[in-house]
Amino acid sequence: MSETKENKTPTQSDDIDQVLYKKREKIYPREVHGTFAMLRNTAMVTLLGLYYVLPWLTWEGRQALLFDLPARKFYIFGLTFWPQDFFFLAVALIIAALSLFFFTALAGRLWCGYACPQTVWTEIFLLMERWVEGGRRQRIKLDKGPKSLHTLRIKATKQILWIAFSLWTGFTFVGYFTPIHDLWHHLITWSLGPWETFWIFFYSFATYGNAGFMREQVCIYMCPYARFQSAMFDRDTLIISYDPKRGEPRGSRKRGKTGKEVGLGDCIDCKLCVQVCPTGIDIRDGLQYQCIGCAACIDVCDDVMDKMGYPKGLIKYTTENAMEGKKAHLLRPRVIIYSLLLAILVGGFIYGVATRVPLEVDVIRDRNSLYNETDAGLVENVYNLKLINMDEHPQRYRLSVSGIDNLRVVGPTDDIDVQSGAVVDLPLRVQVDPIELKSTSNEIVFHVESKTNPAIRYDAKARFLGPVVR
Amino acid sequence: MSQPMKNPDADLPVVQRLASIFWPSFLTAAGFTVIFFTLFDPVQLSLISGGPAITRLGGYTIGFFSFWALTALSCALTCYFRRPCKPSGYKPGHQSGNT
Repeated sequence: MSETKENKTPTQSDDIDQVLYKKREKIYPREVHGTFAMLRNTAMVTLLGLYYVLPWLTWEGRQALLFDLPARKFYIFGLTFWPQDFFFLAVALIIAALSLFFFTALAGRLWCGYACPQTVWTEIFLLMERWVEGGRRQRIKLDKGPKSLHTLRIKATKQILWIAFSLWTGFTFVGYFTPIHDLWHHLITWSLGPWETFWIFFYSFATYGNAGFMREQVCIYMCPYARFQSAMFDRDTLIISYDPKRGEPRGSRKRGKTGKEVGLGDCIDCKLCVQVCPTGIDIRDGLQYQCIGCAACIDVCDDVMDKMGYPKGLIKYTTENAMEGKKAHLLRPRVIIYSLLLAILVGGFIYGVATRVPLEVDVIRDRNSLYNETDAGLVENVYNLKLINMDEHPQRYRLSVSGIDNLRVVGPTDDIDVQSGAVVDLPLRVQVDPIELKSTSNEIVFHVESKTNPAIRYDAKARFLGPVVR
Repeated sequence: MSQPMKNPDADLPVVQRLASIFWPSFLTAAGFTVIFFTLFDPVQLSLISGGPAITRLGGYTIGFFSFWALTALSCALTCYFRRPCKPSGYKPGHQSGNT
């Protein structure tokens, strides 16, 4: 077999150093069919479908999912988030990270094998490659063989497909951040803005490079998660493992012979598990950090075991404890702590979003003077209030001030109308008789309450300055 | 390693050497950009600075690439300084075979 020559994977641990430093050899993953391949394809279709379709959905007349950077507002279906809601974004990111830890502790690198954008886009790019260039053997032949017009045509077809797909990916990406319908209109009328154009090309290039060329190198050299995921592993974490007790000594044999008859283990050393591996490792060397847990080797080995008439599961999802014949524990301190933290954070997040007050009041003191004295002998401070209506509906507000007795407000205090998503500036002068002042600097509070919906209220603190009190 | 003075980076694949400069810097720059522009609106910043008028998208882009340039510079310096220094007995003009 000529193909076996391609597999220069290490068989001994002394070779590891050498492998780390050697020049990258292009990997030609063989196509797989089976249970996990089907799961992976389902995940790929679902996730890519979501990615390309979601920005086109509308919700109450606007884009359902839009992180509107030019307008500094995030729309997520019925919710609108403002820069003031940054806290929620931070909590959401922490929840995402914790979920990753939780699933890693429980089931190993599920994320890497099924859901990571790098895996998903690599899969679709591989699919296009297979479609144009053929299976693993044909692809190797094409690359090793002489250059001809025929190979050039095949390579060019693949590139055109890849580039078109990348450009569409880049366009969709920008469509999450600026309204996609407008973007589409600009695109077909050839009037895209310079920055939009730049980002479409930038993201397309990143997709093309990462999914077309970098592939497993992103996981090995660039992914921080790949480096530290082992910290979340324990002896009960689900891993993909080869059973050396059953498989060794490996060796080829005639079909129909059992391992016992020829004095060998169940591994027939067909090397298919190596050929299907997207990161080019040999799972039979044990757990390696390059393994992204895609389970392609399980599918292909089960197939071989079937053909040989051996039981499946020479390579399978298992745990270190299970392999040693020990009892497996699903609930471990690690899992319990992660799930508790997750439950608290998710609960807090939902509560926070549900009880969020869609009104923000910023008080800015007039910088020109600390205080004025009016002709009537009153002490006056000047403020500029910014009212931001973050609600879906227009609101009519009323305003009052407290903190010092007998405060007077000069300026609009009632029937302040603010449209949904709008900001209104309120210049206000607050006056008081100096007799009421207990100190030079006093705390006052502006109360803003919606007349339309009294549940929407906001208290903003401010300083009221006066002359030195004797 | 048999040669103690060997540059630890010399054997690394080019991809890994480039990635260790441009990738961590990309990630941190992206994080900084999000935090920075949550706090400051680029349109307001350009008004305050009195510089040329700018769109928000332009402001974010320039901001991101400026951050990336700075963080990449910092990563590059880190990579540069973690190379081993010359041995203590080193004399100028003496052939060391390590440049």
